[in-house]
Amino acid sequence: MGRVICSFCGCLCDDIEVGVQDGRIVSVRNACALGRVRFLEWDRDRLRHPTVLRGGEYVQVPLSEAIDRAAEIVSSARRLLVYGLSSTENDAHREAYRLAELVGGVVDNTSSVCHGPSILAVQQSGIPVVSLAEVRNRADLVIYWGANPVAAHPRHIQRFVRAEGAFVRDRELWVVDVRRSETARVADRFVRVQPGSDLEVLSALRAIVNGHTLDVSSVGGLAMSELSELAERMQSAQYGVIFFGLGLTQTGGRHHNVDAAIRLVQDLNSHARWGLLPMRGHYNVTGANDTSTWQTGYPFAVDFARGYPRYQPGEYSAVDMLVNRECDAVVNVAADPAAHFPREAVRHLGRIPVVNIDPKKNMTSLVASVNIPAAVAGVECDGIAVRMDGLPLYLKKAVDPPPDVLPDREVLAEIYVKVAEELGR
Amino acid sequence: MTRSMVLKDCCLYDPVNGVAGEHVDICIRDGRVVEREAGQTEVIDVGGRLVMPGGVDIHSHIMGSKLVHARAMCPEDQRLHTQAMTGTTRSGTGHTLPNSFAIGYRYSVMGYTTVVEPAVPPVRALGCWDEFRDVPNIDSALLAMLSNSTITMHYVEQGDISGLAGYIAWTLRVAGTFGVKVVNPGGVYAWAHGENVTRLDSPVPDWDVTPREILRSMCMAVGELNLPHPLHVHPINLGRVGNVETTIATLDALKGISTRTRGGSAAHLAHMSFECLSSVEGGGTEWRDIASGGTVFARYMNRNRHFTVDLGQVTFGPVTTLTGDGPFEAELFRTVHTKWSNLPVDSELPGGGGVVPLRFSPKSLTHSVQWATPLEFALSIDDIWRCVLTTDSPNGGPFTKYPLVISWLMSRRQREAWLDAVHEKTSRRTALASIDREWSLYDVAVATRAAPAKILGVSKWKGHLGPGADADVAVYDLRPEEVDLAHNPTLVLRALSRTYLTIKGGEVVAREGRAIKSVGGRLWTCHVELDSELAGRVESEMEEEFIPRWYAHAPENYAVPDRYRTGIERAVHREAMDIRP
Amino acid sequence: MTSVGVRLLLVTGRTVRQGRALESGKLQQEYMDSVAVCEVDRTTLRVLGVTDGGPVRVETIHGSVVVRCRVREGVDPGIAFMPCGPYANAVTGGHTATTGMPEFKGIDAVVLPAPGEGVPTPEELLRAQLEEGA
Repeated sequence: MGRVICSFCGCLCDDIEVGVQDGRIVSVRNACALGRVRFLEWDRDRLRHPTVLRGGEYVQVPLSEAIDRAAEIVSSARRLLVYGLSSTENDAHREAYRLAELVGGVVDNTSSVCHGPSILAVQQSGIPVVSLAEVRNRADLVIYWGANPVAAHPRHIQRFVRAEGAFVRDRELWVVDVRRSETARVADRFVRVQPGSDLEVLSALRAIVNGHTLDVSSVGGLAMSELSELAERMQSAQYGVIFFGLGLTQTGGRHHNVDAAIRLVQDLNSHARWGLLPMRGHYNVTGANDTSTWQTGYPFAVDFARGYPRYQPGEYSAVDMLVNRECDAVVNVAADPAAHFPREAVRHLGRIPVVNIDPKKNMTSLVASVNIPAAVAGVECDGIAVRMDGLPLYLKKAVDPPPDVLPDREVLAEIYVKVAEELGR
Repeated sequence: MTRSMVLKDCCLYDPVNGVAGEHVDICIRDGRVVEREAGQTEVIDVGGRLVMPGGVDIHSHIMGSKLVHARAMCPEDQRLHTQAMTGTTRSGTGHTLPNSFAIGYRYSVMGYTTVVEPAVPPVRALGCWDEFRDVPNIDSALLAMLSNSTITMHYVEQGDISGLAGYIAWTLRVAGTFGVKVVNPGGVYAWAHGENVTRLDSPVPDWDVTPREILRSMCMAVGELNLPHPLHVHPINLGRVGNVETTIATLDALKGISTRTRGGSAAHLAHMSFECLSSVEGGGTEWRDIASGGTVFARYMNRNRHFTVDLGQVTFGPVTTLTGDGPFEAELFRTVHTKWSNLPVDSELPGGGGVVPLRFSPKSLTHSVQWATPLEFALSIDDIWRCVLTTDSPNGGPFTKYPLVISWLMSRRQREAWLDAVHEKTSRRTALASIDREWSLYDVAVATRAAPAKILGVSKWKGHLGPGADADVAVYDLRPEEVDLAHNPTLVLRALSRTYLTIKGGEVVAREGRAIKSVGGRLWTCHVELDSELAGRVESEMEEEFIPRWYAHAPENYAVPDRYRTGIERAVHREAMDIRP
Repeated sequence: MTSVGVRLLLVTGRTVRQGRALESGKLQQEYMDSVAVCEVDRTTLRVLGVTDGGPVRVETIHGSVVVRCRVREGVDPGIAFMPCGPYANAVTGGHTATTGMPEFKGIDAVVLPAPGEGVPTPEELLRAQLEEGA
């Protein structure tokens, strides 16, 4: 078949050539190491059948029975958490919000544990972002800050940074990080900051850019001379970009770090064009924020307890809902909280019924009361996903899902119908 | 299944059909207005209440990545108004930036049934098609922002109007858009260099083109393509004191460009309130020198018939400015220091659009003059058929303020009350206080239904209630003969804010001020048939040269697939076979 | 025997290997091998007296876990790096400071040699955590 879109990371590379023979993917071209696995091993380690937990054992059941059990869990919950969504397509999101709204539950996507703090910073300050084609066309200085695309977005540099630009000749790639990451090793320049000091470094840079003199010899492990050099380089750029990663959002200052980066870049726009962009990990986490925003008004951490959406990260975000033992049931869609949440949150997953909807066996499938296999979006079913810079792309279907395996959106819609029946809506 | 309905005893205002307050019955079958309905039918006696065709909004930001970003950026706005779900409606949030469901419901509660999203980067149109499925009870159309596209620069520089027309036709088709929008031509491109343009003949970086050339070329191309809607223009210098001169020069530049069928209209000037500012005598371009350009511009409009206008009325209270005009937003941010986002889009909006939340205050002279300017204009023009009521929602205020705007236009008493409340010097900077004119209900029906439908180019189906029209009807809880609206502005507000009934495509979607149903709407698109050689040339230029060179995704992933159009798209077909390849 | 521990700042993050293994299947050996790891610099390894690939116990205020210790270019003295996943999460905290985001990076940790101790499988790790919660 023709070129398809890779549904692994937020780059959504759309030049992937997939060879299909007898309904199976046999070859992949142009993909990175991660994308190759996404396609070539799409059928490995799958959840093959719906299962329900009975007497400590998982028992295979027909899909309809699994849906019934899921609906029973959802409709008897007093405080439901619907979580995940970033690794599935937009139509599945719709069904998730509808379900949460119906039972007055909470719905959160994985951004609460990746770039949620970036969103909080944007709510404080706004953000001048960039688009990826324009970065490639125009940027003469690209800085990855607390981001390691070589590991997490392997083609990001090749496609958008080390590619020929239509309106720019020379481009420098700098990396600011606490460790000499794989990305630092391919950069033109690596600037090492002390762990936990991004906020100080960004704030100091902003002060220098705005013409202030700092009466200190070093900031965050950087000598003043290094700091001044970085500031000068930033000011001499014609079109500068900061791609920032979880190095800013997951350390102590969280949204304060991102806010400092945004304020710096806003000020740099008095000198030249500058923008910044979070390096979004899950391929459709940007889409999850978008759909949540247009349908509920808020990008994540949304509560429907009062029949209308309310928003409060720290309360209605998934980790808090679990750590605070607030939810009494979870519907997990295309995520793996048992693998990716801190210990305290995972403990609560063991105390409450969990409905797990995912194509593959994962750690949450070992905790769940009901496992419902789903089609792999972008491989076995179509849909829309949104690139990290906001570009919506249509994911194509390459092969059929296994027999009796439905897309997330259909599984959720079936649960919705059952729950609505049970609640008499 | 045949569904039919008769609305009995309507006090109808239907300007397209010359009806002003006659008592008639309206018959509906299968979503259309019909001559008469015989046999089994639902009869609703509206008891002599005011009836108008469903409202048509020609410029309101209701979809797209910019709006989504603005909502996510402003949870403080979302918290202001909330609506719980019901058995038939979804839950809502937001004051100036409602969520999608609330946008549909709030429009239908006001009696509006068609709303145009005027600022779509076509490469992101897919997102709008997706989002639109969650906007209930209204039809819509997307206008494609092309005036700063790298590809437009290429064709304009080459003087290749045929190529530009081909590019526009290609974009309308593949992105499912309806018309063409200009936003600060050249200025948004220059913003990719941190610059802007201030004159029609300013150079644009990277290219040998000027704003004037971009505007004229696009206007010619749209004319040659015979599109239903003329070039929709947001000019350069928006939001600057004294810009009425630029705006008049911009329209002068488009005068005489041949347009085939639209009665000579070359352009639609969007949200005039932001581009018709003047300055006090001897003043400069500082904010303190601001004066209304409303009368000056009305005089220009009365003498020149080649364009139409919408108001973009400024209202007081919180607004969210969000435009494709990134350099304007950046400048605004430096003035107001609230928060600022800049949002470039691959090759189509190289500099980017922007978002800055703001509050218009009656205590501010600047804001007061901005408020008075469009009113002064609207009350000074001869021909309301060329004027549409908007607030450029959410820029001048949320669309839910339309009834308030109408009360200002209909009631001198209302204007006097507000003039007393705004900045004391306002009356010295505008002529508003001296204007006696009061719009009639008929005028209101023109500016909120008939004119916008006509300007949009869908007046066969929208903006009137003659046979064949879409059965989009607004019934207001008001018996016009019994009240003097000019002396009862609060009544205007109350009656026009909440319909007695809103019917969309023959179905009652709102009743007595509440949305009671969620009906999927249709999106208008325009397909232009070109000479096959021209179509072929542009297609291969797009797919083999321009997209690979300037975009960062594959040509085959540009188009909005049928999957998202089926059951939603409503295409208008045009022919432009005689454009030479 | 008293063992020598080294105080380090724990940073968690993505690796290519972890990304590939997670996509392939989380209950496979490859996934465990890719995430049950603590990466340190050469000196730290020497001080710990552990061979490259030998077991260590990572302890924080939130918990402790046994993983394999590996030397890694680019990891500075004073830093311990763990790929994100269940092992890292066994020692990271759930407090989000009302942001929704727990602390995944920059946690005070002590790394101790764990001779003879086995690295639990992801499933064993999970069971142990669920039992704590029960």
